[in-house]
Amino acid sequence: MTKEFDNILDECLERLLVNGETIEQCLQSYPEQAADLKPLLQTALATRQAAAVQPRAEFKARARYQFHSALQEWVTRKRHPFLSWFPRWATVVAIVLGVLLIGGGTIAAASYSMPDSPLYPVKLAAEQVQLALTTSDIGKAELCAKFADRRVTEIVYTADRGDTQRIEAATRRLDERLVMLASLTSTTTKAAEEAPRMLESTPPTHFGEAEDSQLVPMSGGKDNRVKLRTAVAGYATNHPAFLRATLKKAPASARPALRRAINVAQTGYEKALKGWD
Amino acid sequence: MQDEKELVERAQHHDQEAFAQLYEEHFDKIYRYVTLKIGNKTEAEDMTQQVFLKALQSISSFKWKGIPFSAWLFRIAHNQVVDYFRKKKRTDVPLDESLATNDKNPQLIVEQKLDTEQLLSATKQLTEAQREVISLRFAGELSIAQVAKTIGKSQGAVKALQHSGVVALRKILQVTEND
Repeated sequence: MTKEFDNILDECLERLLVNGETIEQCLQSYPEQAADLKPLLQTALATRQAAAVQPRAEFKARARYQFHSALQEWVTRKRHPFLSWFPRWATVVAIVLGVLLIGGGTIAAASYSMPDSPLYPVKLAAEQVQLALTTSDIGKAELCAKFADRRVTEIVYTADRGDTQRIEAATRRLDERLVMLASLTSTTTKAAEEAPRMLESTPPTHFGEAEDSQLVPMSGGKDNRVKLRTAVAGYATNHPAFLRATLKKAPASARPALRRAINVAQTGYEKALKGWD
Repeated sequence: MQDEKELVERAQHHDQEAFAQLYEEHFDKIYRYVTLKIGNKTEAEDMTQQVFLKALQSISSFKWKGIPFSAWLFRIAHNQVVDYFRKKKRTDVPLDESLATNDKNPQLIVEQKLDTEQLLSATKQLTEAQREVISLRFAGELSIAQVAKTIGKSQGAVKALQHSGVVALRKILQVTEND
């Protein structure tokens, strides 16, 4: 009897938690056990909801950055042991030749590289190519937001190392992307107001990466703009907050550069969001 | 499962993108599991990071022997939790906030909204085995089969623990109707 009830309870939990059925639907399948089942299903449902704790956005961003840094180091060490002693110029030449010969594998690896990595120039070059190959404004805007997110991660990475020059370089690149994003958001909004049908027929461009969970694949013009605006609004809050949290722990020498980065992020996102107003 | 297997194999061959994808897919679940197990969100943050760094170090040792990757990852998390309690001594672990369960009214009305702190407090009163199953099932969102693989018990035993765990929670979570 108990074993049978264990199975019934589990079946109902699967239906409830995985298939999205209601408690009533489950109870209808087992009217004889309904009186015992109902309170347990209610408890289980409440438990699942209460257990759905969301990690803080700031912690998640920091953890992701630290993991990607460790991942980058791990991959470089395991896959490219020669990179640690190869002359820098020769490494870049080898990478470019490698890309030409073997395709996009290196580009994929480079997309997670940090400014002090030999693969970093490949990452920047790949981004330029992606922007150049994307024809729609909404696609370009999506890429700008994605690359701005990368720049913030790089600023935090370089700030931890007290590398002021690289913080400033990444901040300049962040500024460029946010200026471009602001210009594109205003263009796409005007275009959408004037010719929504035309915009909706624009083929979506998406370079999906696990790191960009906020930027989901976009399918339609109007949806694209809404999703992009949501993602950018999230970045507008999270990026300056993340940079401010970094500022507290950063070496004194890196703080002026970090303050400039915070300023660039705040004003850049404000302008970008204004484009949608 | 096939997709996961392919991803893991790519990660084992140092494919950065594959590993990053595995990280994104499991991060929140591992965090929730650890939070429910130790009852402290701040400590759970550090521990979640450690789980993935540990996974990165030892992914090459992972072998497909009927154990899904998620089960392997949750085992790492479980071991981290065990180490944590060993170091801190379980009774000293503070809860995040005031977590006292309300026992003024014996009427069971858990269908009301249960908050996280109440749940964290309640799970501390379960047996170790019940708590493990409830954490893996409801916070880690694993299936019965995956939980069974993770803790090395039969599916029947896991279902029984799930049942007794939910019954115990029901009894512990005595919430007044107006709360």
